[in-house]
Formats: sequence, C-alpha cells, structure tokens
Amino acid sequence: MATKIEKWYPGEGQITVYRATLYVILMLGAILAAARLFLGLGATTNLSDAYPWGLWVSFDILAGVALAGGGFTMAAAIYIFNLKKYEPLLRPAKLSAFIGYLIFVVGLFFDLGQPWRIWHPMVMWNPQSVLFEVSWCVMLYTTVLAIDLFIIGLERYGKETWVKFFRDIYLVLVVAGVILSTLHQSSLGALYLLLPEKMSDLWASRALGPLFFASAVIGGMSVVTLESLISSWAYNRKPEVKLLSSFTKGLAVALLVYFAMKVTDLYARGATVWSLDKAHFFFYLELFGTVVLPAVLLTFKEVRESVKGLYLACGLTAFGVVLNRFNVSLTSYGGYREFSYFPSFVEILMTLAFIAGGILIFDLGTRYLPIYKSELEG
Amino acid sequence: MSKAILIDTTRCIGCRACQVACKSWHNLAGEPSGFSATWSNPRHLNWKNYTRVIFRELGEGENLSWHFIKRQCLHCLDPACESVCPVGALVKLKEGPVVYDDSKCIGCRYCMMACPFQVPKFDWGSAVPLIRKCDFCADRLAAGLPSSCAATCPTQTLTFGERGELLKEAHRRIGAAPAKYYPQVYGEHTVGGTSVLYLTAVSFEELGLNHQGFRTDLGTVPYGIYGREWMSKVPWVGLTVGGLAVGLHYLNVRRAQVAAREEPKED
Repeated sequence: MATKIEKWYPGEGQITVYRATLYVILMLGAILAAARLFLGLGATTNLSDAYPWGLWVSFDILAGVALAGGGFTMAAAIYIFNLKKYEPLLRPAKLSAFIGYLIFVVGLFFDLGQPWRIWHPMVMWNPQSVLFEVSWCVMLYTTVLAIDLFIIGLERYGKETWVKFFRDIYLVLVVAGVILSTLHQSSLGALYLLLPEKMSDLWASRALGPLFFASAVIGGMSVVTLESLISSWAYNRKPEVKLLSSFTKGLAVALLVYFAMKVTDLYARGATVWSLDKAHFFFYLELFGTVVLPAVLLTFKEVRESVKGLYLACGLTAFGVVLNRFNVSLTSYGGYREFSYFPSFVEILMTLAFIAGGILIFDLGTRYLPIYKSELEG
Repeated sequence: MSKAILIDTTRCIGCRACQVACKSWHNLAGEPSGFSATWSNPRHLNWKNYTRVIFRELGEGENLSWHFIKRQCLHCLDPACESVCPVGALVKLKEGPVVYDDSKCIGCRYCMMACPFQVPKFDWGSAVPLIRKCDFCADRLAAGLPSSCAATCPTQTLTFGERGELLKEAHRRIGAAPAKYYPQVYGEHTVGGTSVLYLTAVSFEELGLNHQGFRTDLGTVPYGIYGREWMSKVPWVGLTVGGLAVGLHYLNVRRAQVAAREEPKED
C-alpha cells in the first residue's frame, strides 16, 4: 500500500515565484544551449583566438569546483578528523558538491568545441598533461559523489541491507573523495603553471596549486555555511547559529592561513604589490575585501552568532573565491592581450541557467531525500 | 634527422609568396581584406591563415628601415601544446613538425592558452570546430619535399634543412657580416629550441613584436616542464593524502573511544 510521504517542510508542492523564476531561466538556458550546439562557439560566445577561455571556464569550471569543495572538506572533518558535531552540515554539503560538479560537467560540455568527444581523455591518454589529470579526477570524484547520493536514496527507500553494505565500505569512498579532491582542486591551479609569461605577476605563482587547494577549502566552508542559512530560511527551520558559529571559527582560521600563504608567496616572488591599475584594484579587492575583512569579521563572536553577520562574512568569502578564479583566469591577462573580452548574452544566461538548475536540483534533493538526517546514528 | 627552417629576414622582400603557397598547399580559402596601419595582410593568424608576413617600419627619414618577419608555428623541440593536450592530439614528430590529430581533439583550447607564441587557432565559426595551425607540411616532408613556403620563397629567405646544419649556417652568416645581423638566432634556445629559426637585422626587442607572437622574455626552458614537474608529484601526493587520511581516521576514532572511556560524561 502506498503511503504518502510526510511533508519535509510547510508549503511543499506549491510552485512558488522563486521556483517559477528558476524554471524560466532554465528553459531559456536550454534554448540557448541548443543554439550553442548548432551554431558553434563563435556565433554564441565572445570567445576568440585572443581569449580562448572565458566566463564558462572561469565560473562554471574553476569557481564552481572551488565552491563545491564543501563536500570533501566536510567528509574529511567528520570522518577523518572525527569532528562529529558538524555532522548536520555533511549531507547538504555532499548534495551541493554533487551539484557543483554537475555544473562543471555540463559547463565543460558546452564549452568544449566538440562536446560529444568529452569521453576522449578516458581512452586517449597524455599523462604529462595537467588537464588530463583534472579530467580523470573530476570524472572519478563525480562518480564518488553520485554513489554517495545513491546511498542516501537507498536509505529513503529503506533498502537497509544495501545501505549497511555501503556503510561498511564507506571509509573507502571518503578517502577516495579526499584524495581526488586534493589532486584536482590543486591541479586546476596548476593548469596555469604553464603560462606565467601571459599572466600578471600578482597571480602567476609557482604556488598556484596549493593556493587553489586552500581557497577551495575556504570556498567549500563558506558555501556550506551559506547553504545552511539559506535552507533554514527557505524551509522555515531555525538557523543552526550555535553550530555555525563554531564552524566559522574554523573558517576564520582557514582564511588567516590562506592570507599567510598569499603574502608569503607574493613576498617570495617579489611581486609588484603596490600600484594603481585595474589588475591591482581587483587584487586589493580580493586580498583585503574578501580574505582579510571576513577573517577579521569572523573573529567577533557577535558576528558569528548573528545570521546577518554570517551571511555577510561567508558571502564575502565565497565571492572572494570566485573573484580569485576570475582574477587568475581573466584579469591576469588584462595587461597582455591586445583585445578585451566580456562574456556574451548567451554565455551569461547559460551560466545563470546552470545556477538555476543547480538550485532546483538542490531543492528536489532536499524534498525527496533524507538530506537533513544524521548518518552516524544507528 | 630533424628538419627545420631558417628564416633570414634580411633577405625577405615582403612578396608574401609563402602565404600564397601555404594557402594553395593546404587548400585554405581566401578572405576579404582591407587596408591597415601596416602592409601586413592578413592582420592575424587564424584557422585559415597558417602564416603571414609582419611588416615593420623602424626609424624615420634617412634611418628608415623595413623589416619583414614571417610568422608561423615555430615547431618547438619540446612543445608546450603537446604537453598540455589532454588527449594527445598534438605531437612533435622526430622529423621536425608538430602535428595535430583531427580525430582526437575535444576542443578544450588549452593548447591556445599554453603556446608561448600564440600559434594554435580555433575554427570559431564552425559547429564542429578544430584547432588549426601550420603543420610544417608534414605530408610533403614525408615525401622528401621541403615545406611549401620554403619551396616557394624566391629570395632564399627560407632555407629548409637539418636543424644542426641550419644553425651552423646561421652563425656563419652572422660571423661573415656582423654589421648586417643581430648576433642571436631566435629559436636556437628560445623555450628549449624551435625548428623555425630567425635571423634578424635588429633584435626582436627593437622590432617590438612582443604582442605579435615573438616574445623576448620566454627564457630557454620549455614550458611543458612545469606541467610535467607537477604531474610527477601527483601519484606521491595522492598516496600521502590517502595514507594520512586513513591513519588520521583510525587515530581520531581511537582517541574518541579512549576519551569516552576516561570521561564518560559530556561536557
């Protein structure tokens, strides 16, 4: 006998204005995506021989993966460092990480000149290519995240024996996820090790790999916090301020470590730090506005214990990680390229559609999967 | 064994026959052109222009000098494009050419980002796009012929031959007429050496072609090294992170157990 599943939150099943808007954006994106496939990159994007990589690489790929760093960060915190009290943040983090990687894969699909060949790196190997490694790691890690969500799905349908089987081998998944994430999060930075001559020395560092890794942890943590706050608001739950206050203390420490890494790197390379031009403006905004400022804010208990304070500090931090990826991949070229680049309408709208799709999948996930349930109990 | 082209720009008269020969051999479509500040035409390399001659005027009045610099793929000895391509579509042949496999390319455009000379170009207008660049007429080389541009050049600006011998010849020319040449061969050591070598009347700094594909700050290390260096660490980083993760997991679980036994009460 089919029983109706009890409601996860009040107002379930209603098409709200928010959801309708997201669906409209997604539909528009789908139409433009078809146009992109049939008309080609030249007709639909502002990419050119001078700017072969644009918004899709900077946002969907670099920034998206960094913001999805919450999955492996939380898994490591809970299963490896045994910080069990953050467990309520784990499942939403996994779901959003999966969505982040989904956006990566879909974004990459449309960014590739020949998307239908996306599987080529699986059989055509070039082990000296950093991008080859990134594609393998992302492929495997997305699989790990999918298995993880699959287990949550099994739980929902009460397949206890299967759930137990996966729980028994769960450490393997966690360790695989942490290894793969460490490798590709840093390797996405290492992609830029080969083109120092084209980049501004503010970002052309030999330490790009470790820096990308550190900022992915930061991006992941800030998104996990934001996500918890936003879900509380959207699903009328009480924000877990106490837990988040302790969690963001960790974020503040991570920000300080990252700041120390940045400063050490800039000092060691003797980069021209003080100057007034466009690149430096974005550099100061990134370093002081989105690393130092939130780190200072989060040292105050009052900020950490207020919803507004957390929104502000974590919003700044997440924005900073995105800004850093744009700086490395686009601003950095400002002084070198003779041409300028600004994304086309199609590029922007398709990116918005990816985000809208991500939010809708997250919404579906929280409605139909036991996302807000503990997995350590029982 | 490894073929190369020596481009003695002091001999070039700017006739652009090499451009025409290249288009003919590769069956590339022409395109409408227009006037510009220089005599260079076409204005940029792109997916159907594998080569072009850059016209450069230096000085004024009595001191006016004109320089013609042929731009094309330099066919690095250790190409950055080959090292970055995730599917191995770009390969340096032992005969000299850096060639591209149409059937492998996924269109990620990393080669365009990585090339220190900004040579690979993309067919942006197509829905099934490919990377395009000079292939050193690899098919002609395989048949024992020189590249079409070198075969066409009427002034012997382009000399086709063994790389070692061409370098010797280049230095012989510099030695024989030191006043005529800038005493360095561009491409001899640039990014680890290239198969296209340039002799110029003045330095490339003076020609000011930093933004036109002839950078003078590239150094002598092939850029692929940075990627390979990173990749050589990947297995070890993976093993270390994995080992640490497993070890810390058991350590922390054990610590929690011990702590729970010693202090059964929650604080």
